[in-house]
Amino acid sequence: MASSIKAWVGLQSHAEEMQAIHLKNLFDSNEDRFGTFSFSFSHYLLDLSKQRITDETLSKLLLLADQQGLEAWISKLFNGEKVNYSEQRAALHTALRLPEDAPLRVEGQDVAHDVQASLLKMHGLVEQIQQAQWRGFDGSPIRSVVNIGVGGSNLGPLMACAALEQYAGADIRHLDVHFVSSMDGSELEKLLPSLDPSTTLFIVASKSFATVDTLANANTARQWLLTASHQSIDLINQHHFIAVTARPDQALTWGVPEKNQLLLWDWVGGRYSLWSVVGLPIALKIGMQNFREMLAGAHAMDEHFRCTPFEKNLPVLLALISVWNINFLNIHAHAILPYDGRLAQLPAYLEQLEMESNGKSINRQGDRIEYRTCPVLWGQVGSSAQHAFYQLLHQGTEPVMCDFIASATRYESEAPQLKQQHQLSLANCLAQSRLLAVGDSLSDSKEQGSNYKHYDGNQPSTTIMLDTLTPETLGGLIAMYEHKVFVQSVIWDINPFDQWGVEQGKKAASSLLTALKNGGNDDLDSSTNGLLRYVKDWQQRTES
Amino acid sequence: MNICIYGSSLSAWVAATCLAKVGNEVVIDEVMGDSKQAITEVSVIRDEPGLLTEVLCQIKEGRLSRRQQHTKVTADVHWLALQPNEQQLAERVMDDLRLNGTGVLVVNQCNFNVGATEGLQSSLGVGGDVVYIPDNLQEGLALNGFMRPSRITLGIDKEAAVDKTKALLQPFSSDIDCLQLMSSREAEFTKFAITGMLALRIGYINELANLADLLQVDISIVQEGMGADPRIGNHYLSPGCGFGGQNFDAYVQKFSGILKKERQQSLLKTVIEENEVQKELLFRKLWQHYQGKLAGKVVALWGASFKPGTGSIDNAPSIKIIDALISQGVRVNVHDPEALGHLMTHYGQHPLINYAENHLTAAEGADAVLLVTEWPIYKSPDYKRLVALMRVALLIDGRNMFDKTQAKKSGFIYFGVGR
Repeated sequence: MASSIKAWVGLQSHAEEMQAIHLKNLFDSNEDRFGTFSFSFSHYLLDLSKQRITDETLSKLLLLADQQGLEAWISKLFNGEKVNYSEQRAALHTALRLPEDAPLRVEGQDVAHDVQASLLKMHGLVEQIQQAQWRGFDGSPIRSVVNIGVGGSNLGPLMACAALEQYAGADIRHLDVHFVSSMDGSELEKLLPSLDPSTTLFIVASKSFATVDTLANANTARQWLLTASHQSIDLINQHHFIAVTARPDQALTWGVPEKNQLLLWDWVGGRYSLWSVVGLPIALKIGMQNFREMLAGAHAMDEHFRCTPFEKNLPVLLALISVWNINFLNIHAHAILPYDGRLAQLPAYLEQLEMESNGKSINRQGDRIEYRTCPVLWGQVGSSAQHAFYQLLHQGTEPVMCDFIASATRYESEAPQLKQQHQLSLANCLAQSRLLAVGDSLSDSKEQGSNYKHYDGNQPSTTIMLDTLTPETLGGLIAMYEHKVFVQSVIWDINPFDQWGVEQGKKAASSLLTALKNGGNDDLDSSTNGLLRYVKDWQQRTES
Repeated sequence: MNICIYGSSLSAWVAATCLAKVGNEVVIDEVMGDSKQAITEVSVIRDEPGLLTEVLCQIKEGRLSRRQQHTKVTADVHWLALQPNEQQLAERVMDDLRLNGTGVLVVNQCNFNVGATEGLQSSLGVGGDVVYIPDNLQEGLALNGFMRPSRITLGIDKEAAVDKTKALLQPFSSDIDCLQLMSSREAEFTKFAITGMLALRIGYINELANLADLLQVDISIVQEGMGADPRIGNHYLSPGCGFGGQNFDAYVQKFSGILKKERQQSLLKTVIEENEVQKELLFRKLWQHYQGKLAGKVVALWGASFKPGTGSIDNAPSIKIIDALISQGVRVNVHDPEALGHLMTHYGQHPLINYAENHLTAAEGADAVLLVTEWPIYKSPDYKRLVALMRVALLIDGRNMFDKTQAKKSGFIYFGVGR
């Protein structure tokens, strides 16, 4: 058990001392706290000086990493060993962003070659679509692309497209890229009337090609095309659907021909898949060259993670600090606060990456663990969140750790008004993290005696600063979080690459479909039966 | 008169030639063009019927010469025939004239913008007068259009310039119906307005033709009916697979840009966008006939220039059609009486493109003939022989040029534009 090892116990007693020390005092006792606890690599700055740590904390955490065998785990990850033991698979998302000429063989399979071949096929399709030479049923060029996918087949591409939209070259801006994920069809219902069937192409992205949500949306889309075109289903499949999947057989059965299939492999986890052909919408939106730059940025972070001593290793430090907060300072909420509207989808992306990976309570030996793992994680663009949940951060009863994310420069060639808005946003970012850390103790306008105006402070935060947001730095930022999640899993001795907790619900839903028709089922609990009766009752009334 | 022409466009060469032909001493300053290139190699001259002969004749007789770099030119009249995007060059000419010239007449024939002539006048200052004469050049009929215009519009802001301008144009204005005098700003606007109106008419008839296709109506009949109404008339009422050409396209784009800038929206913008879609019409008809299974098919393209009578392929529908065909893996046999040289420059040796010697060899073994440009030699083919030559007797007529009944009787599957 991780909690019984020596370093863990040592951190527990250290934490007891640290609990009594306010961040303000830590800043008072070390004038160059920023110099001591900020770390930079390439385009990234990681400032941990607003965390409740000392030199001793860091060295004890690094010891914990050593005692948990982190170094060996990192090589297992990169070498393609079956780190996802419950599914007997490797987790080789790092192979997806290897440079074109880098070799990688795993168990005799030339993985690097497979990856490049798949990217090359994607490149061909991307060019055909961007050059307006992919044709719909009447020979018109495709102008709108709709990505149908859910979870990892939606969140990553959606987040990256929103973040990097400005990098779409003028020659490819004619292409609209949309995302559809919700099972209930709400998005399609709204989107389809605004699209022209003859110029719309659907990407059906599903690793298993059996995801109910995705296939329900794909069927609705196909029926829309069939009704509008009066063409055969074969012609529609040929010209309006691309499948992104690890199950070409399933995709073919549904109707997508081989030439329209882009393949990934079972060693690509859904939430780690935006680097693969799942990233097709990103490449369509910003061009293949920019997509490759995103891969290159992630690869540079991979190399940093693999080769840098832990005391300067950004993903390792990010992970160790979160372990410190969760397991030793008892903080179980984590807010992601980008001060950049382009990163509006980042919190949702990280919710899946972190909570689906590390929301586990059984260790690698199959035993129940007795310490906390992934906290509740949520977030929003910081400046908007200031008007929503910051009240709780500043004056609530819940300790929360925050990640502030911003880029130093933006709008380089834009109007001064926009540049000024960036300054305003940065000023707010820095003001909030400072206020959270030190409270109102330094404030000039401190009003004595009115408790409700008081800010305690001592809420720890990390600031991640990019030089500027580009395909390359976004790639690096995401890779940094991926590796942070992996390091946490190593400390906690859990498997971050499976998600058995989402399987049972899928099965239960399919049996409830029948129950819904019958208005109940004797095997179910009274709450579920009560709700089923209520729904059936109302549906019958509306029908009659 | 001593006249200096600035520009290397077709308009510049036509003005230079015609002004020399009536006895002026003309120097042409090709500005951005290459004045060392042999006249016979200059494509705008070669592509315009009759122009090459006339240019060579004027040079031989000594009235027309090409300005070489750094040679001094003294002229009474300076004639600007630059491209719509070359306003800076015009400004540079004004700067030179301000320093050296007195009492010169500057004719602005460029479609820069509404108000551009006023701008040039203020750059020139008091050293001369700038007037605007719209460029009404029609590619293919350029010489005749300059020598015998049916109407002349003059944009003149200063009374003093009227007589000088009339004197310059006197040899060409003997039998005109109409000479209109207005301010340069109004004349510039009129020029754009006419071009835009023509584009709107073509855009509208094309939209009607596409609708006629869906409603099984023959657009040719409708077109006759519309043209008979004196409020409408027959001009610019033929549907087809899109308009192109260097000038027409550029003017419409420019005017649409002005409208958009001033009003944030433009009917013309829609016309331009729809015209681009129309350029692929023949491809779409082919695609629909073969249900999208085009790889390995052979298609004959008759005509590549943007209209008959010129070798120019600027903004021509043929380019969009060939791009679409080769992307689908179709083998293209293309023929054009004038434009093959330009096509070869554009595409080079391409494994899927065959530049055919004549239109009948192009059709050999083809799965379709696509008529893109209505050159007269295509007009009356031996349908029976053509059917025998082709693998599939499919005729897609982008200019509604063929006799539909005759073609069908001979065994053709026939598709026109709206009929």
